[in-house]
Amino acid sequence: MSVRPGKSLLLRGYVVLVFIFVFTPILTSFVFSVNSDRFPTIPLGHFTTHWYETIFADPDVWDAFRISAIVSISVAVLATFIGFCTAYTDYRYNFTGKAFYLSLALLPPTIPLVIMGLAMLALLARINMSGEIYSIVVSHVVLCSPFAMAVIRMRLAQIDPDLESAAWNLGASNWRAMREVIVPFCRPAIASAFCLTAAVSFDEFAVAWFVSGLNKTVPVIILEILQGNTDPQINAIGSIVFITSMTLVILAQLILMRKTINQTATGI
Amino acid sequence: MNQTSAARPLVSFDGVSKHYGSVVAVHTMNLEIYEGEFLALMGPSGCGKTTSLRMLAGLEEPSEGEIRLDGQRINEISSIERDTPMVWQSLALFPFLSVQKNVEFGLKMRAIAVEERRQRARKWLERMEILELAERDISQLSGGQRQRVALARSLVTEPRILLLDEPLTALDANLVVRMQGVLARLQKELGITFVYVTHSQSEAFAMSDRVVIMSQGRIEQIGSPKAIYRSPASRFVADFVGANNILSGSITETGEDLKISTAVGEFHCEKNSDRDFNTGDTLDLVISADLVQISMEGPEVQNSLRCRFISEEFVGSIVTIFAELEDGSDFKVQARQRDLANMALEEGAAFFASWNAADAHLIGGNGA
Amino acid sequence: MAPTENTHSVQDMRQRRQVTLYGLTWSMPIVVWQLIFFVFPLIFLFVISFWLVKNYRMVPGFDTINWIKMFSKGYFWDTYWRTLGYAGVATIVTSILAFPCAFALAFKVSPKVRRWALFFLIVPFFTSYLVRIYSWQIFLNDNGIFNTLFALVGLGPFQLLNNFFGTLVGYLTLCLPLVVVLQLISLANVDRTLIEAAHNLGCGRLRTVFQVIIPLAKIGIILGAVFTFILTFGDFVSPYYLGGSKPPTLSILIIDTTKSGQQWPRAAVVAIVMILTLLTIMFASVAAAYRKRT
Repeated sequence: MSVRPGKSLLLRGYVVLVFIFVFTPILTSFVFSVNSDRFPTIPLGHFTTHWYETIFADPDVWDAFRISAIVSISVAVLATFIGFCTAYTDYRYNFTGKAFYLSLALLPPTIPLVIMGLAMLALLARINMSGEIYSIVVSHVVLCSPFAMAVIRMRLAQIDPDLESAAWNLGASNWRAMREVIVPFCRPAIASAFCLTAAVSFDEFAVAWFVSGLNKTVPVIILEILQGNTDPQINAIGSIVFITSMTLVILAQLILMRKTINQTATGI
Repeated sequence: MNQTSAARPLVSFDGVSKHYGSVVAVHTMNLEIYEGEFLALMGPSGCGKTTSLRMLAGLEEPSEGEIRLDGQRINEISSIERDTPMVWQSLALFPFLSVQKNVEFGLKMRAIAVEERRQRARKWLERMEILELAERDISQLSGGQRQRVALARSLVTEPRILLLDEPLTALDANLVVRMQGVLARLQKELGITFVYVTHSQSEAFAMSDRVVIMSQGRIEQIGSPKAIYRSPASRFVADFVGANNILSGSITETGEDLKISTAVGEFHCEKNSDRDFNTGDTLDLVISADLVQISMEGPEVQNSLRCRFISEEFVGSIVTIFAELEDGSDFKVQARQRDLANMALEEGAAFFASWNAADAHLIGGNGA
Repeated sequence: MAPTENTHSVQDMRQRRQVTLYGLTWSMPIVVWQLIFFVFPLIFLFVISFWLVKNYRMVPGFDTINWIKMFSKGYFWDTYWRTLGYAGVATIVTSILAFPCAFALAFKVSPKVRRWALFFLIVPFFTSYLVRIYSWQIFLNDNGIFNTLFALVGLGPFQLLNNFFGTLVGYLTLCLPLVVVLQLISLANVDRTLIEAAHNLGCGRLRTVFQVIIPLAKIGIILGAVFTFILTFGDFVSPYYLGGSKPPTLSILIIDTTKSGQQWPRAAVVAIVMILTLLTIMFASVAAAYRKRT
C-alpha cells in the first residue's frame, strides 16, 4: 500500500514510542544495577559492581538460585512430558468430551496466580505438603504444561497425517511409530517447550510466594526486597534473572529456527 | 496376465462394506485380485476407491464382509503384520531421515541386522537409479526423486503386493508420463501385484491390466482398459470414461439390426450381445466421439444426426467438436484436424454426424 | 470430498471402539495432574469458603456466614466494582494504544522488521515483571526521574505513583506487548486483496480500517482484550507497588485477608467470586469473537 509520508512517519514514531515504553524499565534495571547511588535517580552516580558483589556474597541469594534451578528444570521436564502427551492426544484422537478435556488442559493460565497460590497453599498445607521444593514444582507444572502443549501441538499441526500410518504400514507398532516417527518429528518443539517452560517457571513469583515457605525462589526474594525498602540489589538480581531467561528463550528459538532454516534452505 | 485367474486369487474382497455412521463408503464389494496383475481402482473422488485400498492395507477395518490375502482371512490382522506396503498420495516420506534411512525403515521394523539392512536398501536405491542420493535429506529431492524413494521404501521388504494411492498426483504432467513408464516396467519386471488407486483415466488405462470402475461405493465395471473404453457396462461408466455421447431411447424393431427411436431420431444398431432384445425396451445408445464421422451434406446415410456447431478444442492434431442436437442436448465429435480442413465450421453452423451401426454400444434397459 | 476419505476419521473410528493402553498413556497424564493439582485445589477452595476460623485455625464445617459476611460488606462490593473498573479501563486503554502499533507493524514495515519486532515484543515476557515494576517506581516516584526532568523545565512535581495512573502504567507494562503481538498476528493474516478491494470500491483509508480491517482482525483484537482483562483483573503487583495498595483490588484483598487476617475462608469467597466473574467474561467474549463467522 502506498502511504503519504507524513502519516507514515507519525505511525512509525508511535511504534518507536511503544518500544521505548516496553524497554525502558528493562534497560533501566540494567543501568541501575551498576550505579552507585542507593536511591536511584538522575544524574547517575558512578559505575560500581557493588550490588552484584553484595548479592554474590549473600548465601540466601545463592540458595534461591539453587532452588530456582531445581524447580525450573523439574518443571520443564514434567510440563514438557505432560504437554507432549496432551498435544499428541489432541492430534491423534477424537472422543466425546474432547472440548472438556482440552479446557482442562488449557484453562490454568486464565486463573489469577493469586488464586492459584491460595488454592494450592490451602490444599497442600492441609495435607502437609506445603513449604517444600516439590510444592512449587507441582504448582508450576499446572501452569506450564499448557504452554508446552501449545508449542508441541503447533509442530504436530505441520505433520503429514499419513506419516504415522506409513510407519504402521511398514511394520511399526503404535509404540514403535511413536519412537521412530512422532518423537523425532517433534524434537525441535520438545526442546523449545523445555526451554520455554523452564523460563516461565524461573520467573513465576505469585504461586511460588504462597507455597514456597522457607524454600524461596529468586522471584520470591525479589518480591520480598520490593516489599521492604528501595534496594538496588533488586536490579542486580533482576539482570541475572533476565540473562538466564533470555538465554533459555533464545536457545529455544534457535533450536526451532535451525530446523526450519535447514528445511527451507536445502529445499530449493 | 490373467493366466492364473483360474487359480486362487491373491486377494479377494468378499461382500466387503464400510460404513461411517450412516455414510456408506464401500457397499458389498466383491473383487478378486490375481498374482502379478496391475489392477487400477478408478473413480471420482469419494467413490470408495481409497477406502478399499486402506482396508486392504489394514488401515481401516471392514464393517462387513471378509478380505482374504492368499486365502487367509485378514480382517483382524493389524496393518503392522500384513505385508501390504503402500505408496501414499503425499508419499509420506520421513522428513527427519535421510533417503537411505527412509528406505531401511521397513527392514529396521523387522529387526534385520544393520549391515544387511544397508545392503538391501542400497540395492533398491540402485534399482530405482537414485543410489547417489542415499545420504541426502528428503527436502533436497525433486518430486520424481521422491517418488522413487517412496517406491524403494515400499519394495525393500520384497512384498507380493504393492498398494499405490494416487502417487503421481503431485507431479508435473510430463513427469507423470515418465513415472507411468517406470511403474509399468517395474511391475512387469518384479511380477508382483500392483493395486493402483487413481481418478485419472489416462493413468489407469496406460498401465493396468484390469481396471475397476467405482462409483458411490459400488463397483460399476471390471475389465480390461479396452473393454471398458469400448463397451461401458453402465451409463455412469460411459459418462466417466472417454468422450462418449449417450442417447436414450427405446427399441422399435428387432430384425437383423435393432431399430431404436430417440428424441433426436431413429437409429440402426447391431445387436452386440447375446441377450434378448424386445420391442419397447428402453436403453442407452453410446457412441464414442472418435467413431463419429461428420459431413456438411444432408442425411442420406443411416444413423445420421443434425448438429449445430458450438465450439472446438485442439489437443495436438485431434480436434474435439462440441455441438448441440435439435433437442438441445450436447454431442461431441473427435476428428483429425486435417479431415476438417475444408469444412466451414463456425458458431451456429449446421453439420451432420453419422456412425456405423456396428459402432454404437448398447447399455441398460431390456425392459425388465 | 466425502468424509469417508478423511484419514483422521479413520483413526478416530478405530480408536473410539476400544480404549487402548497406548491411548491412555498419552491422554491420561494431563487429566490426572490437572485433576489433582488444579481442579481439586479449586474445589477445596470452594469447600473451605464454608469453613470457620477459630483461634487462628480453620475448622471444617458448613456455614454460609463467610459468604453472607462478605456480600453484606459495602467494602467488598466497592472493591469488586473498582477491580472490574480498573480491568475494564486497562483493557480499553491497552487495546487502543496497541492497535496503531500493531497496525503499523502489520502493514507498514518489511517482513524482516516485523519478525524482529515480534521477537522484541516477546522478550518482555521473560524479564521479571517485578523488576520492571521496580524500575517504574524509580521513574514515577515524587523524587523520581520524571519529576526531576519536569523540575528542570519548571513543572511539577506531579503525583505519578500511588494512584490509578501508576497502576495503569503497571498494567500496560504487563499487557501491552502481548496485546500488540496478538493484534499483529491477526492483522498480518488479513487478506491484502480484501483491503485493496475496499480501496478499489472507493472506501477511504480510515474507513477501510474501521469497516474492513478491524472486523477481519476481530478475533485477535478480542483475544488481546480478554487476556488483558484476565491478567489485570487478577494482578496484585501493579496496584500494590505502583497504585499504593489503597484502595485495594480483589487480589490485594485476598492477600491481606490471608497473610494478615488468617481469614482463609473469606479469601476463598473472594477468589470464587473472581473466578466466576472471569469465566463469565471469557465465555461472553469467545462467543462474541466467533459470532457470525461462517
